[in-house]
Amino acid sequence: MLQAEDLVKRFKSRTGLITAVDRISLAVEGGEVLAFLGPNGAGKTTTIKMVAGLIRPDGGRVLLDGLDVTGRPARAAASLGAVLEGSRNLYWRLTALENLIYWGTLRRLSPRQARLRAGELLRLVDLEDRQHNSVQTLSRGMQQKLALCQALMHRPRLLLLDEPTLGLDFASAEAIKATVRQLARDGVAILLTTHQMDVAQELADRVAIIRTGRLVLTGLTAEVLESYSRPVWRILTRGPLGPEQVAAVRGLGWPLEQAGPEDLLVTTPDGDAQAIYRLLELLRPTPIRLVERHQADLAEVFQQVVSGTGEAS
Amino acid sequence: MIALLVAEWRRMLIDLVRYPLETVSMMVVMFAVFAGMFFGASYLTQAPISGPNLTGVVIGYAVWTLVMNATGFMGYSIQNEAQNGTLEQVMLAPWRTVQIFLVRGVMDILEMLIPVLAVLAGLVALSGAHLLWRPIALVPALMTIVTAWGIGLLMAALALVFKRMSQLQLMIQFALLFIIIAPITNLGGAWGVGLGVLAPLSVQVSVLHTALGVAAAPASLTMWWEAAGDMVLWFGLGVWLLGGADRLARQRGIVGHY
Repeated sequence: MLQAEDLVKRFKSRTGLITAVDRISLAVEGGEVLAFLGPNGAGKTTTIKMVAGLIRPDGGRVLLDGLDVTGRPARAAASLGAVLEGSRNLYWRLTALENLIYWGTLRRLSPRQARLRAGELLRLVDLEDRQHNSVQTLSRGMQQKLALCQALMHRPRLLLLDEPTLGLDFASAEAIKATVRQLARDGVAILLTTHQMDVAQELADRVAIIRTGRLVLTGLTAEVLESYSRPVWRILTRGPLGPEQVAAVRGLGWPLEQAGPEDLLVTTPDGDAQAIYRLLELLRPTPIRLVERHQADLAEVFQQVVSGTGEAS
Repeated sequence: MIALLVAEWRRMLIDLVRYPLETVSMMVVMFAVFAGMFFGASYLTQAPISGPNLTGVVIGYAVWTLVMNATGFMGYSIQNEAQNGTLEQVMLAPWRTVQIFLVRGVMDILEMLIPVLAVLAGLVALSGAHLLWRPIALVPALMTIVTAWGIGLLMAALALVFKRMSQLQLMIQFALLFIIIAPITNLGGAWGVGLGVLAPLSVQVSVLHTALGVAAAPASLTMWWEAAGDMVLWFGLGVWLLGGADRLARQRGIVGHY
């Protein structure tokens, strides 16, 4: 659906020319959620706006369904919808329904089609009973749901979401996430940027991490998380381990930490799938409450990649 | 294009109906100004003012009001959208920026025109005064508004790049007021023709006056051509400059900045 190839953007500053985005390439297929992550100022929003046509790239191109839309924002607009961060996305003096009808007709729907589609979307995000309320009277969460509806009025095949759950309470954030999942199931390609790693991890099929304008990591979310997970095992026992058991574990020569008499942290050799069984054998007959392998989360991966301490692929 | 017109028309109507105090206040101000012209001038001169003089003053004011709106609204709309954070969404629509803001400019003139005509009709009925109106005057009136839209597009171009430009907008509107009032077209000779073509609105307003029968002499065919040429020049310039400003704003990444 979306293919961004070698995007480059430079901005003039007092100190000279700054490369905000340096040969970034991204691809998102229909039905897929790509989390595009990076620290503040890394170039995420610039990249998203280049995809949307709001910023013209200095190099590279943007293809939507194979069609080059670089520098042709009106052509790109028919296929994409966007919820932009820091932008209100809606007219506060109009009601929820009036907003949707306005944005729908602006995107070439007839007023009748726009009204039908607006009803459908308001039902989807559970805002039907608020359709006649002006946007300024809605809560932040409701406004964000409505902004999402606004971006979906013309059934775009690519959805750009810049911080869609920022500042929302739990219920509103969950509702937005549920809608995003539903859209992906319906075949919409979604490019998501967020600083909320838990949201990205929950939603994204793939992740791409950008640092100072350059892409430093891309991959399937599950594979990335697995590659950053280490064979560190936490074992909780029911009752303290005897000194002879601890000595036996130490005898294996593996890094060991004993956080308490019933709490062990052991690092087994990389790639040795049988190691955990040998370890557990040594703990017999002490009852075991929990065996847990370290599983990296996206926040940890992000921290390592952005600080430059983690591997990048 | 019809979808865009429909969208903006509906938004305009909602705004008119949703905030009746604004609409009513606007009509009250218009009524007061026009009533001042109808009744005040007679009081001051101690003589009935009617016919060409009244028409000149009233139509002149109405046209000036529309011209000020046509020149200022598109730039104001861009500033307002940028300030409120909706400009980027507007520019994500599948239309050229020129089309979107021109349609808004047209809707704004309609929004002004309807109350202006209503107030004028009311006052004519109330005072028994007689305004001279000839259908042919619609042509120079339209040329005047289209020229003003050209300048409005030019201001929109400046607003898209610089965003905060309300003071500059005021200065340009004052300059336009001077151009409209000053009898540039009466200068005669090559200078007169040249300035008539280059200075926006002056020649259109002169032709409008003659078409209404307010001016002493009828407009020559050359003046009509000048008015048309001037209109094409300024409207074309406005379209070209807003297109350029659009490219520049996207190039610099400042579309949504304020």
